[in-house]
Amino acid sequence: MADGTIKIDGRTVPFEKGDTVIKAAYKAGVDIPHYCWHPGLSAPANCRMCLVDVEPPPGRPKMQLDVLRWDAGKNDYITVKKTKLIPACQQACSDGMSVLSDTSEEVAVARKEVQELLLLNHPVDCPICDQAGECDLQDYWLEHDRTKKRMMDEPVHKPKAIVFGETIVYDAERCIMCTRCIRVSEELAKDPVLDMRQRGNRNEVFVAPGRELDHNYSLMTEHVCPVGALTSSHFRFKARVWFLRSGRTVCQGCATGCNAHLDFDPRDNTPYRYRPRDNEAVNGYWMCDKGMLSYPEAHEGRLENALVGGEDAALKEALEQAAEKLSALRSLRKTASINGEEGAEPSRIAIVLSAQHSCEDNFALAYVAKEFFGAKDLFVARRADGEADGILMVADRNPNTAGVSLVAETLGFATPRPFATLIEGVAQGRYDHVVSLGGEVDVDANKAKDKLSRLKAFVSFATHEGTLPQVAHVALPATSWAEAAGTYINKQGLRQEAEQVLAPRGDAHPAWQLVVALARQLGFALSWKKRADILALLFPAPSDDAGAHAVSQNAPAQLEVQP
Amino acid sequence: MLQRTDHLTKRYGIPDGFTLTRYLADGGYVQARRALSMTREELVNECKAANLRGRGGAGFPMGVKWSFMAPTVAPGRPHYLVINADEGEPGTFKDRSMMEGDPHATVEGCIIGCRAIGAHVAYIYVRDELHLAKDRLWAAIREAKAKGFLGAKPFGVDYAVEVYVHSGAGAYICGEETSLLNSLEGRRGEPRLKPPFPAQAGAFGMPTTVNNLESIATVPALMRLGGDNFSKISSLHPKEGGSRLYGVSGHVNTPGIFECAVGLTLRELIYDLGGGVKGGELLAVIPGGSSTPILRADELVEAPNESHPLHAWHGMSVLDVPMGVETFRGLGTMLGTCCATVLSDKACPVLAMHNLMRFYRHESCGQCTPCREGSGWLERLLDTIVAGNGTMDDLNRLHEVANSIMGNTICAFGEGTAMPALGFLKKFRREFEEYIRTGGRSSTNRLALAQPAAE
Repeated sequence: MADGTIKIDGRTVPFEKGDTVIKAAYKAGVDIPHYCWHPGLSAPANCRMCLVDVEPPPGRPKMQLDVLRWDAGKNDYITVKKTKLIPACQQACSDGMSVLSDTSEEVAVARKEVQELLLLNHPVDCPICDQAGECDLQDYWLEHDRTKKRMMDEPVHKPKAIVFGETIVYDAERCIMCTRCIRVSEELAKDPVLDMRQRGNRNEVFVAPGRELDHNYSLMTEHVCPVGALTSSHFRFKARVWFLRSGRTVCQGCATGCNAHLDFDPRDNTPYRYRPRDNEAVNGYWMCDKGMLSYPEAHEGRLENALVGGEDAALKEALEQAAEKLSALRSLRKTASINGEEGAEPSRIAIVLSAQHSCEDNFALAYVAKEFFGAKDLFVARRADGEADGILMVADRNPNTAGVSLVAETLGFATPRPFATLIEGVAQGRYDHVVSLGGEVDVDANKAKDKLSRLKAFVSFATHEGTLPQVAHVALPATSWAEAAGTYINKQGLRQEAEQVLAPRGDAHPAWQLVVALARQLGFALSWKKRADILALLFPAPSDDAGAHAVSQNAPAQLEVQP
Repeated sequence: MLQRTDHLTKRYGIPDGFTLTRYLADGGYVQARRALSMTREELVNECKAANLRGRGGAGFPMGVKWSFMAPTVAPGRPHYLVINADEGEPGTFKDRSMMEGDPHATVEGCIIGCRAIGAHVAYIYVRDELHLAKDRLWAAIREAKAKGFLGAKPFGVDYAVEVYVHSGAGAYICGEETSLLNSLEGRRGEPRLKPPFPAQAGAFGMPTTVNNLESIATVPALMRLGGDNFSKISSLHPKEGGSRLYGVSGHVNTPGIFECAVGLTLRELIYDLGGGVKGGELLAVIPGGSSTPILRADELVEAPNESHPLHAWHGMSVLDVPMGVETFRGLGTMLGTCCATVLSDKACPVLAMHNLMRFYRHESCGQCTPCREGSGWLERLLDTIVAGNGTMDDLNRLHEVANSIMGNTICAFGEGTAMPALGFLKKFRREFEEYIRTGGRSSTNRLALAQPAAE
């Protein structure tokens, strides 16, 4: 792949055609300090933090400039030479090029100078800044400067707490004018709504007159901001980042399956924000606002307890009730051929999978439905389509549509039919038993209420409160995607794992464990103890998905409900 | 060597000097007509033979610059000629005089320049404040167009040339060629990264040559005389040729623009043309616009080594060195725009430097860190010193800050700020120390080094 190599501080680093020095270094894991450069954006070379000493080709002299040094002994200035340094984000790699970064005294001096200049008019209001703890100014000061402030005059004052739009608040005093936010709007969102105004050290970023920063990637402007100039109105003054921990997850907002970090406070088990997790094969470095703002779904409106007839119930009791309701299925295999009262016709059982649940959850339910209930009819609960933005967000607002299809296919079912078809079937009296996964459906569930309440048995596994768990005879509380590890297949067919980030709320358990518990309660023997047992059936070949980040994690706590 | 010429300024000061009638009477547009029958190569060679160094400040050989343009115009990639008349360098006012006094020379130069680089359109980017210059240029363009010198078939030749005047919006940085191109395109006037250079991707992303206005307006004269003859006017031939505009302002009795053969000395410019120093003795001179490091009147050329380009002037006053791109580089300064600013001994170098640094802080575009913050810091340090509150630490910080700007910026504006700052410090350290010691309160409210420092 490499088109050649360069040397950075003597270390050989491969590069591909078109790579700049900083890009090659980034790919090789060599850190060159930078503010304005971002791997997903164009390089304006304006921060000057990534200055490096590029050695001239053999035979060519080093480009040098005259500067002055005060010689106290001579009591006069002496002229000294200064090497012309080049920004690593601007310098294209050429084979055999040698670059001095951390080993050059002149580079160290330049970085220190740039760092000092960046902080010259900075308010240094770190104690009240949301960026504190993850601020490049703080990190690079420690790494490259470490001197006291030498300019003791009042810094330049600029507008503060400017509302750019619903999601972003701007502080021009903290801004280092790296233009990343401007470039995100222009290059990622294709909406050049931000620009710079004024001149020199009076510069500030502003929103085009008559506009708001309201494109679908507005939070990416905050995400790329290397300092505390842009803050998210959702995260602002909510948490200190050093108290937060991060889990690697997959956004549930649409079928793109953007890789994300879910940041949470382990002390109160509360998620505070999403951050994109870089993955060139899926989302690059980005997430859309819709996805970024979906983190509260991990803990808001959750179904934390089991419901029996719409009323809170203990999980054990609910499982017994569910088994009782589904008792006709208990003897299905034995009685199917006997024309007994207790028996239920397999054709009168409807199973609802969910495009919002993991492959594990769907597989568990579909497997039990096939092997034990003999069910034939699969349906899918899915969130209604929305608009696609042509960038990351696609119309399919479900993270695991492809996973549901794969599960059905693997187990030999026909393609699951829409939920609306189930409602029709129920209205026509074709089904009397429904076991469903997932709470959100693409039809008005309230209108289906009456029809569903006519069922003989309706058991719902749901993560969130809603019509389905409310109308079900028994609703069992499933963990949200953030509370249990799970596998999701995105629109590209990439298999991606999300790790468990939060502790489950209330009685919530992974839906597949609830399915297993229910099956056992019904007297069916299932030996699955962990996720891997299911995954081994669903994905028999070893996985080698290049794009997905393999995630190893501890299995969530096992559900201790036995029949 | 003082040698007045009138190749460029013949029509200066004549009441109707700016009209087409007068220009034609002096043989105008003959060269443009001839150029359209010549090949690009012939024109570039003519310009190379003239040894015309760019008049905008950097002194790059103009013929060489023209030769950077692709020899054939690729489909869908038209070439552009852009004329830099943003003339905002403090102390510089030569291009303005040409636009106002002889606009047709510029228009004719544009036709020849377009032909030489394969362009069909020339944009003249004029500094916002120069309203008369813009009017005169537009009038000249209209006159030339009415005569059929511009348009689809200038002089009946099937080589379309259009010339447009574009007004700047009042930013010094737009005199930097890539900022100018951004501004021309309607973008924020911020310098672009180089490479790509304008000859590869300039105006609207197309191959572009940016020439200074005086350079392009000199082209008709160059063609009339022939490149070689034009070059020989100069006493510095063959290093740099021709005649050019010299400006002098500040503390002189007769400030103005004078056309002379290249090779004039500062002494001639100040005393023979500028009428001598006004109200005092010569203290120092900023040779070619505010970005060029200052020279002291009492400086001597230090070039004992025979291989030194200035060895011929070793031991002589810097005022007696011919003003050339390379000779002045040898003096540790720059020729720049060739418009000198004179400081008499009644002037305070501390205040002069403060004035300049205020300008650079105000005009820094703010794109890159060292220039944006460094120019502001320099101004503040000088604010403190000028207010009488400066310390020796502040003084020693000045060169440190200037050093940190030097070479670390996107465009030459950084050096344009740092070099004059370092120049002032190097040449006037004693005066700065004196100012700080006395808090700037000497008897004349100017520097009085002869007097003992007040205790």
